[in-house]
Amino acid sequence: MTILQICQWLNDSPLGTSIRESDFSFALIETTHVLGITLMAGTVAILDLRLLGLMLRQDEVSDVAGQVLPLTVAGFVLMVISGSLLFWSEAAKMYLNPAFRFKLVLMLAAGLNPLIFHRTVYRKVASWDLAQPTPAAAKTAAVVSLALWTGIIVSGRAIAYFH
Amino acid sequence: MKLRLAVFVAGASLLAAIPALAHHSFSAEFDGHKPVRLVGALTKVEWTNPHSYFYLDVKDDKGNVVNWGCEAGGPLALSRAGMKRGDLKIGDTIVVDGYLAKDGSHLIDARRVTLPDGRNVYGGSPGDGGPSDTSAAASKK
Repeated sequence: MTILQICQWLNDSPLGTSIRESDFSFALIETTHVLGITLMAGTVAILDLRLLGLMLRQDEVSDVAGQVLPLTVAGFVLMVISGSLLFWSEAAKMYLNPAFRFKLVLMLAAGLNPLIFHRTVYRKVASWDLAQPTPAAAKTAAVVSLALWTGIIVSGRAIAYFH
Repeated sequence: MKLRLAVFVAGASLLAAIPALAHHSFSAEFDGHKPVRLVGALTKVEWTNPHSYFYLDVKDDKGNVVNWGCEAGGPLALSRAGMKRGDLKIGDTIVVDGYLAKDGSHLIDARRVTLPDGRNVYGGSPGDGGPSDTSAAASKK
């Protein structure tokens, strides 16, 4: 089975079809998806801006990270569930959509970025929790994160403009 | 402060220019200066989000039959405009008034659909900013 065949099968499944042909579900799921992204990318941006020293400079980085994390996770869960359902309903079309493909690559990179960050400079956060300026590696991670999330949102929106 | 105000005003006017609810705007794909009327037999109906599609076999001037796609609003938009799922039956002859795609493909934006029973239904996406978009006109007042 090729990936396209799997996508076509998802696309034509009862759940995919019912969402695609629904009066209200599609719009509700789409709205949830946008709100999930807002919560996730918004709270990620708070930590990124703290890492760049642009806000909350008096608060420890680890404290800001700790406060933001549950909200980021909540946004992530909403985003992934709603996004999967939207994909399910249009899988065959999405598989061929260049903006969607680009978005997948950016999402992979956006997932790797915090993994690298937490295994490197963040391990010694206790030593720079209130340091000004913050370490260059932390600033780099923040800039990469902001750029990737911006790219994800832009390419997500661009999906509608490709056939 | 002046800069902040300028940024705010620029941002607000950008937001105001984005038609609410539309999946993509009319002008992203279609040319409002190229109206077209298609009369033909239905070959396929996709009653789907975020846009529905109807396909018609249309005879051109030389007598060749060409299959045209008509992009319309999603299921909810069409239901609210007065067309129910199942109103469109394969083989029915319908009239679609719309606008040609900018890329020259056999695709139009369906603004009005005339069904075999004579019903004339608005087929566009609400708020997409296209011609005779009543919802956009109302919200801009």
